Amino acid sequence: MKIRIVHLYPDLMNIYGDIGNIIALKKRSEWRSIEVEIKNISTNDKLEFKKGDILFMGGGQDRGQLLVASDLNKKSQIIKKAIISGLPALVICGAYQLFGKYFLTDKKVKIPGINIFDFTTVASNQRMIGNIVVDSQKFGRLIGFENHSGQTVLANNSQALGKVIKGFGNNNKDKFEGMILNNVIGTYMHGSFLPKNPKVTDFLIAKAAKKIDPNFKLKKLDDSLENQANQFAASRP
Amino acid sequence: MLFISLILGKITLFFNRLTGSGGSAMPGLAVEKINSNFIEFLAVKNFPKGVILITGTNGKTTTSKMIAGILDKAGISYLHNRAGSNLPRGIASAMIGASSILGKIKADIGLFEVDEAAIPKLTLMLQPKIILVTNLFRDQLDRYGELDKTARLFKQAFEQSNAAICLNSDDPLVAGLSLGLSKKHISFYGVSDYPDQLLDDLHSIDVTTSPVSSSKLVYSKRYFGHVGIYETENQDFKRPKPDVELVKLKKSDINRSEFIIKINETLEKINLPLAGLYNIYNSLAATAVASKLGIRGKIIIDTLNHISPAFGRMEIIKYYDRNLYLLLIKNPTGLNQIIQTFLLKKPNTPVLIIINDNIADGRDVSWLWDSAVEAISKNKGPMLVSGIRAYDMGLRLKYAGVKNFLIEPDINLALRKIVEITPKNKPAFILPTYTAMLNIRAKIVKKSEAKEFWK
Repeated sequence: MKIRIVHLYPDLMNIYGDIGNIIALKKRSEWRSIEVEIKNISTNDKLEFKKGDILFMGGGQDRGQLLVASDLNKKSQIIKKAIISGLPALVICGAYQLFGKYFLTDKKVKIPGINIFDFTTVASNQRMIGNIVVDSQKFGRLIGFENHSGQTVLANNSQALGKVIKGFGNNNKDKFEGMILNNVIGTYMHGSFLPKNPKVTDFLIAKAAKKIDPNFKLKKLDDSLENQANQFAASRP
Repeated sequence: MLFISLILGKITLFFNRLTGSGGSAMPGLAVEKINSNFIEFLAVKNFPKGVILITGTNGKTTTSKMIAGILDKAGISYLHNRAGSNLPRGIASAMIGASSILGKIKADIGLFEVDEAAIPKLTLMLQPKIILVTNLFRDQLDRYGELDKTARLFKQAFEQSNAAICLNSDDPLVAGLSLGLSKKHISFYGVSDYPDQLLDDLHSIDVTTSPVSSSKLVYSKRYFGHVGIYETENQDFKRPKPDVELVKLKKSDINRSEFIIKINETLEKINLPLAGLYNIYNSLAATAVASKLGIRGKIIIDTLNHISPAFGRMEIIKYYDRNLYLLLIKNPTGLNQIIQTFLLKKPNTPVLIIINDNIADGRDVSWLWDSAVEAISKNKGPMLVSGIRAYDMGLRLKYAGVKNFLIEPDINLALRKIVEITPKNKPAFILPTYTAMLNIRAKIVKKSEAKEFWK
């Protein structure tokens, strides 16, 4: 079994430990004897998907976001097509915002998104920073560290990743955090997100592996350290 | 009003010392609450040779210590916020402590280490003569927002100041601060001869594009993070030629570095008794500042050749006959440098990593994932993790492929354990975050002769 992690813009969108997500996907695959190839794709690189791929894109500074927005729009048709046919993907913070309709910056510049998620994001003058705890129906308790000024409001029929127990989430009002659509997870949680939330990591790996072998079953791992770290982080301010 | 502020500050300072708390920002905080013009007033009235501000992510404390040593040797008196309390209130505290009740400070120079976030405000308030920026990395971003924003705020402050600006030419974000400023105000320092250090992977690089455009940076040499010799793809920006330049590296090991520098076309040899490239950068930074003050090369070199480490930064403290190396870590680049300089050079040495997430450490511990911890997965020495976020560090080690590490969140027990597993007269490396360093250092110095740091 061999899967591939397609890492979009690792040079421009790589803030706050997002690389930990790649490390978690790779290690938890390898511990189950699944081979992993990491494919880095930046601006002007050709993007293609094949069976057994996982897409990852991390957060960036506002400047990084501007640079990638126009390139991402060129790649959007390929991404959309893959997502419709079940591509597992994780997009964090700046990438999450760009998967929506647009991001309106503090200087009132409208950065166009690629319209996969049905939402818009508007910069606010409040920076939402801190440990965040989210209760997700699908994954249980999720933990991360958020740091954003963009306020995201989901459309009514969209499915959030979970309810905010502690912290801000998508915005400082409705207590929802992140979004799920097909096998795509979008979230504001850095932290790094996947190491302390192994159920999400395994969800992505399983989806990719099942594309190659529909009967594939993930072996269980000892997650006691992951769970301890998750529990402990939830108690921090 | 000013008089009352000063008295109040001095009383707070006295009680702090009396209770042994050493809280070095409290007196300043008390006064700040009453009178916000206070720092400005004291600074303008004093320091006939001007104020020097030292800022940047890494190297502030060590560089300040080096400059202080040079000033000592040159016979120039100075006031320094030596407690590492680098917010405006910490600087106010230093001034209050040194001031007579009439507001007179006996010092030629104010030498202040300043937190990045405080630079815009303090540049306006203190009207410094020299500002030094060492480097800009991801550090406690949960407090500052983003790196680009920090650089933007610096630039705005510099444009309104007449200060001479000393900049690291090898950090493109820092060197980019010179754009638009008058050339005669700027001096650069940099390293032109050092081996590439390939420990840093893509993920610890914070800056990848030109300070003026979206053109990507191309490196002919990369030392660590985004620091190296670079130009942009479309040639709109390149590493400026350093005025203080390391032209030849002769030797470097876990105790010292020997190298040749060029200052204003003169070659000088430095035999620096501190390890690591980051200390080389600190010594060049100190040299650049001292040269701006017109201090002779010989005085600078003599000082650097006999410098001792700053508080908690590569201090070696004897404790129950073990040589404990205190190696402060704050961010991925700093941790990578410690790994490179110590952990990889002595792979059988016991290691204790202590991660706290108090405000002074940064609440966000995600930086642990940005550092090249994988590099130590083959080390044979015993490894312990401790501190408030011991489990996060443990998780990082697990995913880096490190085997057989122990998690002991209690710092007291972890210290006892590291002593047990370290043979007598042998070294152990202790890597604490800031508040963890204060904590463990206090425990260690009780047993040894190292001075309490506010004295």
